Amino acid sequence: MNVIVDRPEARLLPSRHRFALTRLIAYLRLLRARPSANRPEHLILPIDRDQTSAEMNGIAIWVLVTTTCYFAAALPLALPVAVVLAIPLAAIAIHLPIVVGGPIIRLIIGDGDHVKIVSVITMALLLIASSYFAVSPAWARFAAWLFFAVLILNSAAAVIVWLLRNSIRAAEERCAN
Amino acid sequence: MTRSAWWRRFSVRGVVWRQLLRFAILNVPPWTEPVIMAFWAAFFLLWGPGRRGVMRNLKVIKPGSLAITNFFRCYRVFWNYAWTIADNVRFKELRTIPDWEFTGWDHFQEMQARGGAILLTAHMGSYDLGAHLFSETSTRRIVMVRAPETDPQTREFEEHHGAEGLRIEFNTRATELALDLLENVREGAIVAIQGDRVTGSISSLPATLFGRVTTVPAGPFALAMTARVPIFPVFVVRMGRRRYRLITSRPIEITRSRNRDEDFARAVAQWMVELEHVVRGRWYQWFTFEPYWQEPAA
Repeated sequence: MNVIVDRPEARLLPSRHRFALTRLIAYLRLLRARPSANRPEHLILPIDRDQTSAEMNGIAIWVLVTTTCYFAAALPLALPVAVVLAIPLAAIAIHLPIVVGGPIIRLIIGDGDHVKIVSVITMALLLIASSYFAVSPAWARFAAWLFFAVLILNSAAAVIVWLLRNSIRAAEERCAN
Repeated sequence: MTRSAWWRRFSVRGVVWRQLLRFAILNVPPWTEPVIMAFWAAFFLLWGPGRRGVMRNLKVIKPGSLAITNFFRCYRVFWNYAWTIADNVRFKELRTIPDWEFTGWDHFQEMQARGGAILLTAHMGSYDLGAHLFSETSTRRIVMVRAPETDPQTREFEEHHGAEGLRIEFNTRATELALDLLENVREGAIVAIQGDRVTGSISSLPATLFGRVTTVPAGPFALAMTARVPIFPVFVVRMGRRRYRLITSRPIEITRSRNRDEDFARAVAQWMVELEHVVRGRWYQWFTFEPYWQEPAA
């Protein structure tokens, strides 16, 4: 794994972000970044796509809220009660692709790192659930529409990131050196 | 396998949780990880003895605090612990390292430069991850001393899934270990020991933490005095998701005089000042799940 030493602004490297939208935002922030006055005495920053907390925590909250909305809409209860019940149900449902998919994948391809496959399965399940709610009359359709809006935005960002790939690489190299 | 042995796998220190954690690291998408962590941190609040132990300790660290407040604080301790052990397993399995910030960099470099030293730390942040960082970045050999897992299957699992390049010694065979460590320190190695709590029948020294009487392991102090090397208080503190700070404090030099007890008492007092300062500010990362202090007599 590559690391960058004593460069606080390297936290903004697009390579430390997973999704195209956040990579693009990170690139724009990196262009405006100035050497920080509040530097730690010594700093080691690995270049890992899953390293940025704001991105991962933000997506986790969004996924939880979206799943909670779907459960709350599906439960035949008064809305406040349904929402309260939906939160733990959503947290359990998010485990499903891991506890069901994980062992099956392990059986098929053996022990090892299956994060990418489980990620695809989880996202696919969210996509199916969102497709169902997006065309339903339930209030949860707004959460589903938001889900698709973010997906479209991310796809557009992916195109821009691809077009800017050389500039992004140059900016990253400037920051690293 | 006997029936009791089968059930022991599911006890809080049983091997099942280690296996599940490893499975999670290899299967959980990072963008759902915070939800999974929040869920399991809440689940482990059902572990009564651990929860009560943390809450009792918090009552001493934060005098006058309410039980309900300490319950939520206890959740924060469990949440941090979950992230810490997950980061440790992630490093072992996938070699993923977190962001590292250093405070007391001069002291840290001094420790690396000196021929032999004791690294004294506490049950905070990730002791294992910190030791691995040393083994990867330091030119010095590092020997880590720790209490063994109580469950035999868990011990076996940890030995099988340990990281390479790091020597781990267990503090069960006191006399042989002391001689072995002495030889290592004299040869220039850094010996890492957790010095905040006494486990089993290891020898101890009296101390005062948060105004309450307690004991700390005597081993690191005796080793430093015998080998004539300094003790460096080092704390690995979790700052956030995949982000740690390594705090190195000024070294504790144990000077020999005619009164050995007084020499030890001085060193222990300095260690307690450092420990209290860090625990006061980062109580949510002091992973002491048993009551640390004896209940005062009624």
